[in-house]
Amino acid sequence: MKSPAYHLRPNKAAERFALIEAIRHLPKLGGSLGEYTYYGLGGPYLEDCRLIYDFFPEIPMVSVEENGEVLKRQQFHMPCGNLTLEPNGMKSFITQYQSNDEKSIFWLDYTRLEYTCFDEFKALLEKVPEKSMIKITLRAEPDDFWDEYKNIRTDKAEAFQKEFREILPDTDTIPPRDAGEFAYLLQRMLKICVQQALPGITTPLTFQPIDSFYYSDGTGMFTLTGVTIRRTNTSRVRKAFRDWEFANLDWKKRPRLIEIPILSTKERLRLQGFLPCTASPGATLRAELGYLIDNDITKTESALEQYAAFHRYSPYYMRGTP
Amino acid sequence: MEKAKQTEYKPVDFSPVKSFFVSMLTRDILLEDAILDLLDNCVDGILRSGKTGGEKPYTGFSAAIDFKKESFSITDNCGGIPWTLHDYAFKLGRATKSDRPVDPAGTVGAYGIGMKRAIFKMGKHCLISTRSGQDQYEIEITPDWLDTEDKWQIPVKKVKKHDKDGTTIVIGELHEGISKKFSEDADDFTRELRGKIAGHYSFIIDKGFEVSVNGKPISPLTTKFAFLKGKDENTIRPYVFKTKSDGVDIFLTVGFTRGIPTPAEILDEEKSPKYSSQEAGWTIICNDRAVLYNDRSILTGWGDSGVPQYHTQFIAISGIVEFKSADASKLPTTTTKRGIDASSALYQQVKNKMREGMRIFTDFTNKWKGKEEEAKALIQQGERLSFEKIKEEAKNLHFHRTLRTFPSGDLYQPKLAMPVKPEPTSRRISFTKEMAKIRTVGEYFGNRDMAPNGVGEKCFDKIYEEASRK
Repeated sequence: MKSPAYHLRPNKAAERFALIEAIRHLPKLGGSLGEYTYYGLGGPYLEDCRLIYDFFPEIPMVSVEENGEVLKRQQFHMPCGNLTLEPNGMKSFITQYQSNDEKSIFWLDYTRLEYTCFDEFKALLEKVPEKSMIKITLRAEPDDFWDEYKNIRTDKAEAFQKEFREILPDTDTIPPRDAGEFAYLLQRMLKICVQQALPGITTPLTFQPIDSFYYSDGTGMFTLTGVTIRRTNTSRVRKAFRDWEFANLDWKKRPRLIEIPILSTKERLRLQGFLPCTASPGATLRAELGYLIDNDITKTESALEQYAAFHRYSPYYMRGTP
Repeated sequence: MEKAKQTEYKPVDFSPVKSFFVSMLTRDILLEDAILDLLDNCVDGILRSGKTGGEKPYTGFSAAIDFKKESFSITDNCGGIPWTLHDYAFKLGRATKSDRPVDPAGTVGAYGIGMKRAIFKMGKHCLISTRSGQDQYEIEITPDWLDTEDKWQIPVKKVKKHDKDGTTIVIGELHEGISKKFSEDADDFTRELRGKIAGHYSFIIDKGFEVSVNGKPISPLTTKFAFLKGKDENTIRPYVFKTKSDGVDIFLTVGFTRGIPTPAEILDEEKSPKYSSQEAGWTIICNDRAVLYNDRSILTGWGDSGVPQYHTQFIAISGIVEFKSADASKLPTTTTKRGIDASSALYQQVKNKMREGMRIFTDFTNKWKGKEEEAKALIQQGERLSFEKIKEEAKNLHFHRTLRTFPSGDLYQPKLAMPVKPEPTSRRISFTKEMAKIRTVGEYFGNRDMAPNGVGEKCFDKIYEEASRK
């Protein structure tokens, strides 16, 4: 029942804001956001629902939770009146879910990496109507399969191959050691899930990816968002999202890293006036700060480039007295 | 009254209709299996070349499969199609002519439909070019030929396209569904095809044949059996049976490929399938090609004549039967060569031995219930030997000749280790609780993600400790 404190998860916060940005683009596909219902796994603080309500109060929401105590806590944290708490597990909820042709936004916000996560994703793909959005977040931690001496843990790797055989690009796929490559493998596995759930030969719908990220707030995570759309209309989705700087509209493109550096409020306010910054943002912001925030110039500039990219998604945490 | 008109009975036309071959025959086969048929032809070509021998008879031979939205191709260096065989290679079906050159031992082509069916399954245009020694020629199947019922001849062109003996088949004008599989569903199809080739061709790839799909080579999936050397009794070894019947050599083995699962592992597997079950079951090989891969149905004896139905608890049991014959028509396969002919008398006899072997290992699994960890440790003591290694090791085993049971042959029945006390001194306790409560208790013991059986055990141990103190 323990959930990590939010101020310790700045990259997760950016993931949430990225979802807000993705939702903002949905009306470009036709219709209004009021036609959508959001379904998520809100956790004890219902942070995702709070955010969606802040930006899109017209979207009714459902949070799915099977733990009775967490449900009570959610009741306590209810951010608004248009949120329904559903006492259920996600698998069972998807089984019972009927869209009645109403568009949905789902966030399968898992913290684990199990075949059942992919299975639920596939089951959902078969049920949501056209122009629905699905976001899936999975654990993507190479250290689960590699030891501290950079050796593969053979038993874990074999277990991985057995568990995910149905969706692995190859029967002998080894979980990569590099976090980015690991995330990319999960992206490829999701693509196979899409082809299994929505085969081109029988289904006019497909799932067009719109963004994919990987990050770590202590544990590696991967997230991918996409929209169900008629195959003949995928260009419409591409057109709707192509101006978004974080769009990843191609399954072959690797997920983008979110690694926001820890900056003090004073530092952030200092840099605020130089943002947005498109030309050499790392070097520009480093020059403005006048000191290194990581071990060397390269790492500092790389961190500040991340800040420049995601600063709008990076929340301020303040100490307050209740 | 008008006199009824007399019907004149003329001879009726029994000639074949081309569209039957093109549209109907292709419905009986999956696309993946049709592609495997093309690989079968490659292997038959290798055997015809006579350049095989030794432990890795297929070394140096390869086949490259490539596909995209517009086309499919397979290129091999497996000997090509000699002109002397053109009548048999390109005719739809195999005529029973006595002047056909005798097939070399080990080939599986028996019906003369594999290549043509694969072509018609995929598209309307095909170019087959081949080189076999001095013979170098090309044949083009066009949509026009397919659409013209009475046109059966196809011209042959002399070409020089190949540096060495081999064949290239390029199929174009793909059917819409096939084209979608090769483009929109390409990742899943590639995964499926690679998996099938890795399974069905594991023995041939293991013996040196190289197969690639879209440029990426395929590694074989090898089944390995636990084999405890140097211990004839209380041992862990597979059951082995070998015989020869009507020109068919048969070698059968069944045993453990991993430790038997604990109840927690069984529950876990059932609740959240990890597909390790797919590694269990029977594989049937006919002339090096797996025609059935990890089957767990009544077809291979599960749930039949005293053998229990397959269940996750038997996940550790696998078996392989190899049929080898110089005459492919004697092998118990279906026309698709990816299935077993269950009505074959030979197969039915062999199935008796498959069941006999299986019962030894299902019995072992049942006897060790409650002591799975001990049994697992025992099984893990053994080396893990591939099918080929088991065949080698079999030379050192003590076989009994069975003459009064059928099929007669040589049998090795392992004396498996059994639990010391048949009556267990312990009993299993199992109960179900809400996950949230299990997590809460797990957290009480310091790990909220503790496995449910671990939480149960901790609770019991704690209360037992308290109860013992009183």
